[in-house]
Amino acid sequence: MKDNVISETDVTTHKTKIAARNVQVYYGDTHAIKDVSVDIQDKTVTAFIGPSGCGKSTFLRCINRMNDTIDICTVKGDILIDGEDIYDSAVDPVQLRAKVGMVFQKPNPFPKSIYDNVAYGPRIHGLARNKSELDDIVERALKRGAIWNEVKDRLHAPGTGLSGGQQQRLCIARAVATEPEVLLMDEPCSALDPIATAQVEELIDELRQDYSVVIVTHSMQQAARVSQRTAFFHLGNLVEFGETDKIFTSPEDPRTESYITGRIG
Amino acid sequence: MRDLFNVGSTTLLVAVVLILTVLAYGLVRSRVMSSVSGDARKLHSLPNYYGYNAAMLTAIPALFVLAIWMLVQPMLIQNAVIDMIPQSAVNEGSSVNLVMSDVRRVANGLDAAVQSGTLDADSARDMDVTATDVRALLAGTGVALGSDVTPEVLAAAQRYRSMEVTGRWLMIAVISVLVLGGMFIALRTARADFRARNTVERFLLGLLVLAASLAILTTVGIVLSMLFETLNFFRLHPWQDFFLGTTWAPNFRGDSDLSILPLLWGTLYISFIALLVAVPIGLFAAIYLSEYANNKVRAFAKPLLEILAGIPTIVYGLFALLTVGPFLVKVFGRGEDGLLGVDWMSGATSVLTAGLVMGIMLIPFVSSLSDDIINAVPQSMRDGSFGLGATHSETIRQVVLPAALPGIVGAVLLAASRAIGETMIVVLGAGAIARISGNPLEAMTTITTRIVSQLTGDTDFASPETLVAFALGLTLFVLTLGLNVLALLIVRKYREQYE
Repeated sequence: MKDNVISETDVTTHKTKIAARNVQVYYGDTHAIKDVSVDIQDKTVTAFIGPSGCGKSTFLRCINRMNDTIDICTVKGDILIDGEDIYDSAVDPVQLRAKVGMVFQKPNPFPKSIYDNVAYGPRIHGLARNKSELDDIVERALKRGAIWNEVKDRLHAPGTGLSGGQQQRLCIARAVATEPEVLLMDEPCSALDPIATAQVEELIDELRQDYSVVIVTHSMQQAARVSQRTAFFHLGNLVEFGETDKIFTSPEDPRTESYITGRIG
Repeated sequence: MRDLFNVGSTTLLVAVVLILTVLAYGLVRSRVMSSVSGDARKLHSLPNYYGYNAAMLTAIPALFVLAIWMLVQPMLIQNAVIDMIPQSAVNEGSSVNLVMSDVRRVANGLDAAVQSGTLDADSARDMDVTATDVRALLAGTGVALGSDVTPEVLAAAQRYRSMEVTGRWLMIAVISVLVLGGMFIALRTARADFRARNTVERFLLGLLVLAASLAILTTVGIVLSMLFETLNFFRLHPWQDFFLGTTWAPNFRGDSDLSILPLLWGTLYISFIALLVAVPIGLFAAIYLSEYANNKVRAFAKPLLEILAGIPTIVYGLFALLTVGPFLVKVFGRGEDGLLGVDWMSGATSVLTAGLVMGIMLIPFVSSLSDDIINAVPQSMRDGSFGLGATHSETIRQVVLPAALPGIVGAVLLAASRAIGETMIVVLGAGAIARISGNPLEAMTTITTRIVSQLTGDTDFASPETLVAFALGLTLFVLTLGLNVLALLIVRKYREQYE
């Protein structure tokens, strides 16, 4: 399982980027997240694993307050990014989402050109003063998304015409174009074939140099390959959180071990 | 009522066929069940299918032939009888058809007389005008005739009756053979391995195909009937004047100016104002309902908005005539007494009146279609935009609406074709003066109102003043058909994007 690890695990020196304290999430009467506290480090890939319905995606969506768009969802507890409570009434969730980018399970390029897809965020937030600055931002983002070479000749072709893997890398480029500090990825490879998955995983590893990346995944191999730290969720509880190596080789909790060895989940 | 249960009455015949159908159903079902000694699992199909199959075999050929027979028999009899009427019997200013309707009336009168007992069957058959006052006799049974019955008419009527009776018995015989034959075949095929289920399936397919082709054939029929009358019109009136002239002045004494342009202008002008009202309001309502309103508001507001679509257009017309028109006059007219102190508008009917009210009528149309289309934009698009830090209205403006745009354009075009074809609102709200003018406060008229006015009252279907209605109707049809096709093409293209 550990044969193709790309990264080294020298991550203990990084500072805490996101601190969650006693987070509870309710969907109506359902208690979806139960008292989760976790520290996510800067310039690190953190993987959330666990069986379906365990709350890992829900928790991920708390970090950029995407759950606000769901009427029946309520979040309690504190989530701090750089020491600032994002659920404070003074925080504008729209501004927060510019700082905490998100990539979704299914590639969801807008029905616009490739260029306009990437320029969408910078335009909304007024990041470019003129056209050439915007061009630079788009080029940089597409390069960060490792898709520049494939699309540089057809920037004005529709983004929906790309292949699935290209679309997902376009979505990653679109997310990094707004210069976020944290990048949330909700099963970014679940709709991709193995080759596209490998490309996206390589990209995630590169993104670690600048961002704090949180990735939800169903594939334990993927968690092992790309992440430095792993959190295991089960039935809304955070069961175990620690170095990826340790979680996969000597888990402390019997539930973690059962999941990793395939007995539950 | 007695007629209903007479031997040979169609109602009774249909009732007998249906009773035999039910009988065939029960008979075949029980027979096939007994052939496997009550174990339905040994049958190819469920027992009911054998019953349905038998019922179909019994009823369908019989009822089909019956329907055709009822259509064809009167025609055949009429053709046979019409030869008996010499040209001399047709009065000046009358026609063979009028005499034929006399013949039919006399024949019906004789039937009624025989039935009520005033006449016996033999004397009805052998009656002679010289011996009996047929007119008085028939008047006694409630059949009033315009003139005395001539010998030719009476003879024709008697022949009519005898042929009708023969035809009726023949019909009963044929139907009986078909019903009994159907039952016989059904009983013969009632075996356990007969694939009754597949037969029923084929029958259902046939039924659906029939329904679909009826709808299409009706459309073709409508178009053709309009087309022929239109061709008649163009034989009497130059097409150049119709399409390119600028005056609409029908004159029933002849020599009219019949040009579509002033009417087309009025139609398009009113439709344009209607869309100007309906599109923004409908679209914004749709955006609110699909994007912002919570479930409670939505569940309450959407049906309420759609009630607007259920209001009969004549009611909208009254609203235009009695409320909106006078209000507009109060604002734009009456000189010093008016709200603006201007005297731009004299009567309640105007392009603006009709346009505003028609716009209100179209709001639910636009909003309901747009709402569906906006809802069809995948949630992942919105999530993607929110995830980049866009606000709700930025997301709608820059992602949702562009994605939904083709569908919305389709909705607007459909609304436009409704507006162009709308009649009652413009009849009451727009006025009756055909003119080409840019002033929305003036009365104008539309294609649909002119069709109504050209065809109401005493009309002679041979004059260009009447036939022009068909040319107008066909033009309108082509116009709305074009818009609908365009709208459907756009909507279909849009659908392919997400599937």
